Amino acid sequence: MTSAPNKPRRPVVLLRPVPGDSVIHRLWAGTKLLVVAGIGLLLTFYPGWVPIALVGALVLMTAWLAGVPRGALPSVPRWLWFVVLFTGILSVFSGGSPHLTLFGVTPGFGGVLSYLRVLALAIVLLGLSALVSWTTNVADVAPAISKLGRPLKLIRVPVDEWAVAIALALRAFPMLIDEFRVLFAARRLRPRNPAITRRERHRRWSAEVIDLLAAAITVALRRADEMGDAITARGGAGQLSALPSRPKWADAAAFAVLLAVCGVSLYVELATPLATSS
Amino acid sequence: MAALCAATAIIAVVVPLAAGLSLLGTVPMGLLAYRHRLRVLIAAAIAGGTIAFLVAGMGGFMTVIDCAYIGGLTGVVKRRGRGAPTVFAWSVVLGAAFGVAGVAALLVASRLRHLIFESVAANVNGLATVLGSVPGFAPAAQMLREVFTTLLRYWPVLIISSSVFSIAMVTLIGWWALSRVLARLLGVPDVHKLDSTPDTAPVVPVPATFRDVRFRYPGADRDALGPVTLTVEPGEHLAVTGANGSGKTTLMLLLSGREPTAGTVERPGAVGLGRFGGTAVVMQHPESQVLGTRVVDDVVWGLPPGTTTDVDRLLAEVGLDGLGERDTGGLSGGELQRLAVAAALAREPALLIADEVTSMVDQNGRDALIEVLSGLSDRRQMSLVHITHYNDEAASADRTINLTGNADNVEMVATAPAPVANVAPLHHAGDPLLELRGVSHEYGSGTPWASTALRDIDFVVHEGDGVLIHGLNGSGKSTLAWIMAGLLEPTAGSCLLDGRPVSEQVGAIAISFQAARLQLMRGRVDLELAAAAGFDYHNHRRVEHALATVGLDPALGLRRIDQLSGGQMRRVVLAGLLARSPRAIILDEPMAGLDAASRRGLLRLLEDLRRNTGLTVVVISHDFSGLEELCPRTLNLHEGSFAPTPTTAGGAA
Repeated sequence: MTSAPNKPRRPVVLLRPVPGDSVIHRLWAGTKLLVVAGIGLLLTFYPGWVPIALVGALVLMTAWLAGVPRGALPSVPRWLWFVVLFTGILSVFSGGSPHLTLFGVTPGFGGVLSYLRVLALAIVLLGLSALVSWTTNVADVAPAISKLGRPLKLIRVPVDEWAVAIALALRAFPMLIDEFRVLFAARRLRPRNPAITRRERHRRWSAEVIDLLAAAITVALRRADEMGDAITARGGAGQLSALPSRPKWADAAAFAVLLAVCGVSLYVELATPLATSS
Repeated sequence: MAALCAATAIIAVVVPLAAGLSLLGTVPMGLLAYRHRLRVLIAAAIAGGTIAFLVAGMGGFMTVIDCAYIGGLTGVVKRRGRGAPTVFAWSVVLGAAFGVAGVAALLVASRLRHLIFESVAANVNGLATVLGSVPGFAPAAQMLREVFTTLLRYWPVLIISSSVFSIAMVTLIGWWALSRVLARLLGVPDVHKLDSTPDTAPVVPVPATFRDVRFRYPGADRDALGPVTLTVEPGEHLAVTGANGSGKTTLMLLLSGREPTAGTVERPGAVGLGRFGGTAVVMQHPESQVLGTRVVDDVVWGLPPGTTTDVDRLLAEVGLDGLGERDTGGLSGGELQRLAVAAALAREPALLIADEVTSMVDQNGRDALIEVLSGLSDRRQMSLVHITHYNDEAASADRTINLTGNADNVEMVATAPAPVANVAPLHHAGDPLLELRGVSHEYGSGTPWASTALRDIDFVVHEGDGVLIHGLNGSGKSTLAWIMAGLLEPTAGSCLLDGRPVSEQVGAIAISFQAARLQLMRGRVDLELAAAAGFDYHNHRRVEHALATVGLDPALGLRRIDQLSGGQMRRVVLAGLLARSPRAIILDEPMAGLDAASRRGLLRLLEDLRRNTGLTVVVISHDFSGLEELCPRTLNLHEGSFAPTPTTAGGAA
């Protein structure tokens, strides 16, 4: 009596780089964050087809260089496919220029084109940030942010404090996730009172939410206290990383690619008839 | 805390059905703003936002920032002692401010704005076209088009008003939840122990001489320690033993710089907690000791900037050479503790205090850790104070101090030799209850991170059986426990209870997790029991009966959960589980973190339950001591499959 062999859904794996050691893995974490920020700005101001396509190509290229297999992508839930398809079909009916004559009918593709552009934009941006987490060891993030934020110290922004908070949060995050898993499992083990009226259902729901929140916060506070003791035992915060990390030649190449993408996009969007974002 | 908030945000983004949870991300942030300064909230928002960005992209980042914005508002208003009207008024103001900021951003990014509006317009117009072609709906379609055009024309108004509306709503929900949660949390004791003492004197912590030292915690009605007279000499290995509650940990606090309430502590210089040549402390919980995400980073974590450390030599000294690049998340408890020792040694301390460092570590880990510790005071000019409740650990010290005055409390845990697996079929008196057939489990199937936890597990638990599933860290024993309780569906094979998959009958098999606190959700013992077992908490008889089953005083029913000891918590969990008369009970590391007396008591209770009520018991543990009576049958789990011999190679003393 074995269960039917259904195709397993690929889960989302959090904060663990894809195993391997490629050029992309070795890039300085700060470079990757700056590239993502730069491309984010570019696409915010010039969300045309050419910039989107260029960034898309960059994403695919980086994924290939980093050796990210297709399996790293989590499965897309079926309802999401449905929503995307449904809204896509709806926007076909809205018409708008350009018009193309196919088989005697002349539908307008303006609506569906702008819908597709928003969709492509969202996918490209998601892919970009996914690449950062697939190729960056979390241990490198906090030192990179402390280095990147150094100019902010001039205006008395507590960058080091933030970097320590990020480092500790990244360390505590997997532990807390495990504890929450146990918490939800414990919740599943409990019997549920039959609630008949809507009011009872509502009350039960709110009691459960408060239970879970209070338990989760208690757990997190305890963990925070223990880590606080461990920090005190080490004489406070100071160094974060044993291995100095700084930009190298590969990072210069990455910035060159970023500049090229931005330059071509700006030229196309501002000075050629291919512009699609205005 | 930021991690907690980010966790809620992630769950909100990743698990789309639970989108409602992002509303509740405001509560931890609110708590932060209630308890601490705004600066802490900002740091938490940045850290949480960064994690959320790494996990879920820009959307995750914005969710966390929103949570911090709204949570900060509720927390600050709560701290000032104002009520719901104030929070509502402020939420309208801040909502408008947020809306104006949003409008400004869209004005600047005009091309993106046009694109988004075009795309939304395409959807709405398409819907109107489809609607218009349905007979009778033409006027509705026309109205939809007109309303939408008007809204689009006055889009700044739309954005500001929707921002005011949504922020006010979320704020009120967050306010409600925060108030309820704060009422719950008032009784949470502060387990924070160490305090750094600013001292400019030169750092010389030993020799430390205690004369008639007593210590009483603020608000307590009796001394936690004392009177104690002792000396810690330079370079000696001193063991301190005693049961829970004998003041061992208090002694650690005094050695690391707390002022005693009576008596004197004399040292030649300052304590220098965490400073070079000062005092270093390694504590009980392995995971909380280690602060870096990478092994090498943890060794230097917190050292003053600019110091250079020979990390490789330190790692070799604690037997972790070659693991420098490893992720600390993948280390076992014993390895984590040895890493914490290396980090302590990086400060070249004159005094190292190890406070029950082995109580959460398996047998192999314990042996390696003790070996490292006992070699330290020979190799280095360093005093070692080792606080423990295991007698064989105290044996390797130069000198032992027993902190307990009264004799009947000093019994200590003897570590037992590993029994050979005996799958004697004679014991199977009852019918088959839980059948595992070819069970395998793989995490992250189909992804580059796939890892196999269990391979082809075949066995049967019979009614009235007592089974010990023994394995080291990473052997897959916790995964097996989750599968047997039905909380996890195996990727291959089946786990059947009465011929039906147990994952369809969650709750029929009870499971007690290692961290008992996570299984206690209500604030008070009687409420907790009632919720866990599904009866009304006014039913005192059932509460008393449930408490009596696990040998607890009925008066405990009114106690707050957070005032219970570790052993009492575990018993309350058992009471809640047993009150539902489960078919079997799985206990995941039931003895972890308990002292000798609590262990013996809990074991005797479980043995009685099994003998008298025929309860089926499955214990998952890395420990053997005293379990032979409770679990006549032992199965050894090694790297995901059953092994015939114990996996502790030459281990126990």
